[in-house]
Amino acid sequence: MIDPMTVLAILAMAGVTYLTRIGGYVVLRNRALSPRATAVMEAAPGCVLISVIAPDFVSKNQADLAALAITILAATRLSMLPTVVIGVGSAGALGWLIG
Amino acid sequence: MSVSEIALAEEQTSNDRGAEFRRGLAASTPVLLGIIPYALVLGAQAAQKGLSVIEVPLMTGLNFAGGSEFAAIQLWTSPPHVLLIAGITLLVNSRHFLMGAALAPFIKHLPKQQVFPALFLMCDESWAVGLADAQRRAAAGLPPAFSLPFYLGAGLPFYLAWVAFTTCGAALGPVLGDVGKYGFAMAFPAVFLVLLRGMWKGFAAARPWLVSLAVAALTYLVVPGAWYVAAGALSGLVAAWFLAGDK
Repeated sequence: MIDPMTVLAILAMAGVTYLTRIGGYVVLRNRALSPRATAVMEAAPGCVLISVIAPDFVSKNQADLAALAITILAATRLSMLPTVVIGVGSAGALGWLIG
Repeated sequence: MSVSEIALAEEQTSNDRGAEFRRGLAASTPVLLGIIPYALVLGAQAAQKGLSVIEVPLMTGLNFAGGSEFAAIQLWTSPPHVLLIAGITLLVNSRHFLMGAALAPFIKHLPKQQVFPALFLMCDESWAVGLADAQRRAAAGLPPAFSLPFYLGAGLPFYLAWVAFTTCGAALGPVLGDVGKYGFAMAFPAVFLVLLRGMWKGFAAARPWLVSLAVAALTYLVVPGAWYVAAGALSGLVAAWFLAGDK
C-alpha cells in the first residue's frame, strides 16, 4: 500500500511546493518596490490566472469553445455562482448537442 | 459607504473572527464546485498509475497543489524519478513565488507563526479569493485589509475538499469513467474569469494579460507538458515591465 520511493517522491514534491509558497513572502516582505516592479506585481495575478486557463481558449472541441464564449460573457456581468452554473450548464449542454 | 461596506465595517469593529471565517466559507463555496471534478479525475489517474488510496491523500494532503500533482502523475513511473518529479513540481508551482509576493504587502504585519502555516494553504483559489478581498477592503478603507480568518475560511474548505475528493477519485476512479464529459471542467475557467473581471482596471492595465494569454496558448499548442503556465506568466510580466514605461 505504501511504497518507499513513492513516499520519497511525495515528500520531495511537498518540500519544493512549500518553498515556492513561502518564497515570495520571505524575499519581498521588507522591500520597497520601484514603480516598474509595482506595475509588474500588479499585473502578475492576472497573468498567472489567464495563463492557467489559456488551453481552454485554444481547445479543439467546438462545443467547449462556444461554452467558453458564453462563460466569458457571463463573467463580465454576473457574480461567481451564476457564472459557474452557466459555464458548467452550457458546457454540458453544448457537449451533449455538438460534441 | 454602501450597505455591504457598512456590514464589513461592523464585522471588523466587533472583531468577530467567526463571522469573518464564515464570510470566507461563503466566498469559497462556488469555487469548490470547480475543484471537485479535478480532484476526482486526479485521484482516478493516480490510481491508474499504481498509487494506493493511502498514497493519494498523502500526496494531495502534503503537497496540496493540483497543477503539479497532475503533471507529476503524468510522469509517474514505478519507481518514480524523484528528481524529475521535484523539478516539474518546482516549474509548475513557480507561480507561487509571484502569488506570495503579491500577498506580501497585505500580510507583512502579521506574526510569522501565523503567516507560515497560512501560506501552506495558499493555492490558486484561496490566494485569488483572499487577495481580491484584501484589495476590496483596502479600497474601501477597512483596516486591516487582509483578514486572516476570512482567508482561513476560504482556504480550509479547498484543502479538505481536495484531499477528500482526490481520495474518492482513487477509490472510485475505475467506476466513474470520464467525469470531464459532463461539463464540470468549465467551472474552473468560469471561476478564473470572474476573478479576472474583479481585477480589471481598464484595457491598458490588462495588456500584459493578453500577452500572457497569447504566449501561454501558443506554448500549450507547441510545447508538450506544463511549460505554458510559466511561459505565459513570465512573458506577461516582461510586458508589464516594458509597458510601465508608457505612463
